[in-house]
Amino acid sequence: MIHLDHAATSFPKPPAVLAAVRRWFESVGVSADRGDGANCVLAARTVAATRERLGALCGVPPARIAFVSGATEGLNLVLRALLAPGDRVLTTAFEHSSVVRPLVALQRERGLQLEVLPPDAARDLPAAPFAAALQRWRPRVCVFAHASNVTGTALDAAVICAAARDVGCTTVLDASQTAGLLDLRVGADVVVASGHKALHGPPGIGFVAAQPRVPLPPQKQGGTGSSRALDEHPTEWPQAFEAGTPNTPAIFGLGAALEWLAEQTPARLLARGLGHVDALAAGLAGKPGVRLLLPPPERRVPVLSFVHDTLDPSELGALFAAASVQVRSGFHCAPWLHAHLGTAAAGTVRLSPGPELTPADLATALAAF
Amino acid sequence: MDRYSRQTRLAGIGLEGQRRIRASTALVVGCGALGTHAADALVRAGIGRLWLVDRDIVEWSNLQRQVLFTEADAERGLPKAVAAAERLAAANRDVAIEGHVADCTAAFLATLPALPDVVLDGTDNFPTRYLLNDWCARHQRPWIYAGAVGTEGAAMVVPVGGPCLRCLWPEPPNGADVGSCETAGILAPAIAAVSAFQVAEALKLLVGATPSRGVYTCDVWRGSYQLLALRAEPAADCPTCSGRAFPALDAPPASAVTLCGRDAVQVDPPDRRDLDLDALARRLGSATARLERTEHLLRFEADGVRFSVFASGRALLFGVQDPLRARALYDRWIGLS
Repeated sequence: MIHLDHAATSFPKPPAVLAAVRRWFESVGVSADRGDGANCVLAARTVAATRERLGALCGVPPARIAFVSGATEGLNLVLRALLAPGDRVLTTAFEHSSVVRPLVALQRERGLQLEVLPPDAARDLPAAPFAAALQRWRPRVCVFAHASNVTGTALDAAVICAAARDVGCTTVLDASQTAGLLDLRVGADVVVASGHKALHGPPGIGFVAAQPRVPLPPQKQGGTGSSRALDEHPTEWPQAFEAGTPNTPAIFGLGAALEWLAEQTPARLLARGLGHVDALAAGLAGKPGVRLLLPPPERRVPVLSFVHDTLDPSELGALFAAASVQVRSGFHCAPWLHAHLGTAAAGTVRLSPGPELTPADLATALAAF
Repeated sequence: MDRYSRQTRLAGIGLEGQRRIRASTALVVGCGALGTHAADALVRAGIGRLWLVDRDIVEWSNLQRQVLFTEADAERGLPKAVAAAERLAAANRDVAIEGHVADCTAAFLATLPALPDVVLDGTDNFPTRYLLNDWCARHQRPWIYAGAVGTEGAAMVVPVGGPCLRCLWPEPPNGADVGSCETAGILAPAIAAVSAFQVAEALKLLVGATPSRGVYTCDVWRGSYQLLALRAEPAADCPTCSGRAFPALDAPPASAVTLCGRDAVQVDPPDRRDLDLDALARRLGSATARLERTEHLLRFEADGVRFSVFASGRALLFGVQDPLRARALYDRWIGLS
């Protein structure tokens, strides 16, 4: 199976990631801060090192990195912690359901005022209109996807975050599609990402990276391994966001993935992925009936959506599957975007290559239909 | 016992036979033409418990031959197992009737509270028949194969100990090669003729009489009815009769997944096949609308649903959301799962 679905999850994982997960199961077996044995110390050391690596990746102190089950949990917790009744929230039509659905639920519960910025005809959302909207609308919170999981459009997050800061707006960056590919030190107040996409960690682990200036009170209560005698959940970070037994094997895996990533460098992985996208786009463009939904070339991640005049995306998905190529067809959990792309009826076919692919893999994929 | 007086007068049944029938449980798999005929006859004959399983709904095209259903059932689109159970309960209140709206899979069979005394085949596809074959072989229960298409029918008792369906055909026939009622049509008396044999054999099994050996075949249009002799012993290399393997019990069922945000279901056969789309197109012929063979796939419309079928066996069914219904339509029109 040729994996062209890295926007969903990366595969295969680096061998070191598997080895680290296995090491936990074989010889560690316990959580950090949950006991006095030598293995607890070992676990604590790896968890702390992983926090440090993530802190460096996002430009926050390690104590402001909370491990969560994934970006979905992280975004839910952050939005619930940040948003007060009647708040004005600015967001974009690119958002994934992990932002859209919490916002819609909070809109119902807390009467939020939502403003959704659409992409332009080139499937871009430049920083200038974004900054203008911040000025005009004066939201209290702005939450946006660093890059679209449908079109691969990457937003100019540094400029947008600076503009938000100018109007006193708190920014939440959904870096699910960019962590491991783009620089996350863009000045966002909070960065949330999952560990199993371009970071190449295992599923079941993600993180929230919050600047110390942003108060994020607990949204779930439970055991933390600290303040054990108290019956109130601690408000100190990262315990505030880490109720319950942590997914330590996945943290071990993510730690190894971050080490691997530091050797590979995000820039190199991005370049390789974009090279694959260019090759796929060139191949697809030569096929009659294909319409590519590419973003402008300057800022993007390795995601390529397309539609076809006579073949439904689900039919194309079946043809790729028959050629042993894993792609995604349909709406990709981006409910607001398809109306703007003209793909509201059936969605798109999405190819999202990873660094491991060979030219032969790409040729196989292109021969699927 | 007035109700069964005509039946108990028969030498082969008598009061003791009637008591045995009353103490028995029958499983009828599939509630189409064969299943409704069989269920109706068994309930009227005074069986103790009847379990019906069918995943499909009543449609207008069923009324020509599926005797338990009414126009009201078709209008309401009632599940066949529900409509049949209701009708049967009105025919004989003494029978414990359970209608299951479900796919007859190994997992479903495992949920039955007990083993039935006899299993009657009312299915329209071979994968399910092989499942019944293997399940009955493993649990030492007799089953009775039956099938009808056009004006012809065939039926056969598969006794405990074989010979079984695998002794005759080690592998299920390819769906593309088998005619179906949808494409070849079906004359109701062909069903009745096959069902008569099937139910009589079921009653014989239940009262402890010796079942017929051989394959009963008929062509009601030609007026030919015969019992073809069959060897008495299982095939020496039959894995199922020798108790070595029950492949259909281990095979996963077809998967059917509703497509996110679409009025469509994707059906995948349990393992990839090389489906001859040209042969399928020829077989479907005029029975379907808007038949279109493209370079990559075969499209057609049937039963109000748009099908896209791929050589791998995968199909997309547009205009349906219920996976059970999609699987039923898949088996009906594509014929393998």
